[in-house]
Amino acid sequence: MDPVTIDTTKIKPAKKKPETALEKLEDTGLINTVLAAKEREGLILFSTVDQIINWARLSSLWPVTSGLACCAIEMMAVAMAHHDIARFGMEIFRASPRQADLMFVAGTVTKKMAPRVKQLYEMMPEPKWVIAVGACASTGGPYHESYAVLKGVDLIIPVDVYIPGCPPRPEAWLYGVIQLREKIKNEGYGAKWGLNK
Amino acid sequence: METEELLLNMGPVHPSTHGVLRFKLRMDGEIIKECNIVMGYLHRGTEKLGEMKTYLQFTPYTDRLDYISAFPNNYAYAKAIEELAGIEVPLRAEYIRVLTMELNRIINHLVFMGSLLMDLGAATMIMWGFREREKALQLFEMLCGARMTFNYIKPGGVRDDLPDGFIPKLNEFLKDMEKRIDDYEQLINENEIFLMRMKNIGVISAQEAINYGLTGPALRGSGVSYDIRKLEPYSIYPDLDFKVCVQSEGDSFARYMVRVDEMRESLHILRQVVDTMPEAKIVAQAKYGIAPMTGMPSAVSTYFPRIFAPPAGEVYSRIEAPKGELGFYIVSDGTTKPYRVKIRSPSFCNLTAIPRMVVGLKIPDLIAAFGTIDVVLGDVDR
Amino acid sequence: MNAAEELKRLLPNAVVSTGIQINKPLAVIRKEELLKVAEDVKEMGFDHLSVITGIDYTDRFEVVYNFFSYGKKQNLVLKVILGHDNPEIDSLTTFWKGADWLERETYDLVGIRFTGHPNLTRILLPEGWIGHPLRKDYDMKTEQFVMLGEDGEDVVSTDGSKLLRRK
Repeated sequence: MDPVTIDTTKIKPAKKKPETALEKLEDTGLINTVLAAKEREGLILFSTVDQIINWARLSSLWPVTSGLACCAIEMMAVAMAHHDIARFGMEIFRASPRQADLMFVAGTVTKKMAPRVKQLYEMMPEPKWVIAVGACASTGGPYHESYAVLKGVDLIIPVDVYIPGCPPRPEAWLYGVIQLREKIKNEGYGAKWGLNK
Repeated sequence: METEELLLNMGPVHPSTHGVLRFKLRMDGEIIKECNIVMGYLHRGTEKLGEMKTYLQFTPYTDRLDYISAFPNNYAYAKAIEELAGIEVPLRAEYIRVLTMELNRIINHLVFMGSLLMDLGAATMIMWGFREREKALQLFEMLCGARMTFNYIKPGGVRDDLPDGFIPKLNEFLKDMEKRIDDYEQLINENEIFLMRMKNIGVISAQEAINYGLTGPALRGSGVSYDIRKLEPYSIYPDLDFKVCVQSEGDSFARYMVRVDEMRESLHILRQVVDTMPEAKIVAQAKYGIAPMTGMPSAVSTYFPRIFAPPAGEVYSRIEAPKGELGFYIVSDGTTKPYRVKIRSPSFCNLTAIPRMVVGLKIPDLIAAFGTIDVVLGDVDR
Repeated sequence: MNAAEELKRLLPNAVVSTGIQINKPLAVIRKEELLKVAEDVKEMGFDHLSVITGIDYTDRFEVVYNFFSYGKKQNLVLKVILGHDNPEIDSLTTFWKGADWLERETYDLVGIRFTGHPNLTRILLPEGWIGHPLRKDYDMKTEQFVMLGEDGEDVVSTDGSKLLRRK
């Protein structure tokens, strides 16, 4: 057997632990600091308006309480002490769509429920995001062949993140939330025009 | 004073934590004059899917009926097929089944308590309830890898034996749970606001409860000592010592108390099951359908034939699920797919009594009464 | 003597045949005599109506009633056979209030009409749904969509272009 050679040039150095306040801010990846700012001991920060707004938006997403089926129970589990979605600033589940900016489509969207889900989405103020949770909301899942089930909620409203699973574990759920935060980070006019990168 | 009647719509997406159900209320001021329930917002056509799938393929769909307590759903379906095909189940498998079902009963009642208190505006109980639920879900994960939808109990047995280290962990849970139930009772039972919201709300007499077809804790709260585990004993329940929890008042508080007592009884049953569990490691019956593959005697999954056809016939088999009587009416025409699967779900039948119970109450009382009936919409709409 | 045979003794004209359906006494009864039978069944102590099942056998419909008696701790299964065109049967809501929704569900999904029912409308599917899904000849290919009408009630249509974002 050939000895395994390791190309040391390909190993990335371990990330330095952020120490100063400026480094910590830089570590979030939300604010671009310019080297010149560092040299002046953090007195000047450069960023874009987009990044500041996105940072504010993603740090406190308020979901609307719209549990539809089995996944709604996992939604409750995610919100409770053990998994604690409050870590992402989204523990405030709003009963009214007018006060929410994120919708978890948690469960099977039936034909009878579909226009209501759509109405709920339309009632939410901009900016708004949708996470399709579970197999049913993504594609119809195990009920794909049924006469009474819509084959995926993306047929009626735009979806930002799909979380697979039946129902997804709370960890998967949190991973989906993190993915959405990544997405929001790169949103804005700059992203649309390709200027952000 | 003369007041104008108001038609009030509540739902299908509403703040109460039970799912998509719609109330059409005719109000006179604050008082409910008439309550109409509109449902079907989660109607997924499960019964039709039953006709399109083979017998074993349908088991996962039973998980998703009453998704808070999926083990009893699995079991009710498996029991119907076993009665239809005359399949004997090994004793150890029955013990494991009862173990899972009683554990599931505790979880169901924890979620019930949590969501009921949440609806009334108290958030502590749901935090506490879900903390303990999480511990029990870890046990389920050890057992079958799933948290909510198990697909574990199959016709002829269970999918796998108990994993190593399961019983000690279960014992730990049982010991812990004992204290926790005391905590809950201390927190809730003496609470003045809770008592005012619960006592004499949504009263239904024993006679009416029977006439409306209520079952489970909703019926036992009205003073009818009725439990299918006692009346038509199935599985190993005849060998176990437990009592039927009954309260006589018939109001929301009585229904709540029945469930708290049932949690204690379930703990009692679980302790007996753990103590008397037989050692034999056979957990599934191989005598029906296709014979297991040779050379793989230890692989339990091969005990379950992918396809099998019970003899033609009809069966109605029912069990005491945490919410009430759960029954499956299965018609077989001798082929590999059921000809007709009818699900008698406890939530659907218990909900029938709500329009009768809430006339003359106020809207917050509707939420309280509705909470103590304990429905799951997946079970109502199917 | 089991409950089905007792029923046969009480009403010999109404009961076509008796038998056993896996541990439960079964009586097949005439459709016209259902109300009379129901009255006697209730008097015999069968106070709990477990479930009503409608089954489509392509040449006939069968409606199955499962009863239980809390007093006697006995089961009873009643079966009524209906013709395939225009299946109609008397409603049992006057005897068991629980029959209300069970009958509505059977009407909704199987399409059996219950005469004398106070409010025989669809319960799970929206009003206006085409066909009864649990019939064997139900058209599974045509997709039906639900939209909200002017007054917020459901409107069923096979054309989903108003609801769907894309085809």
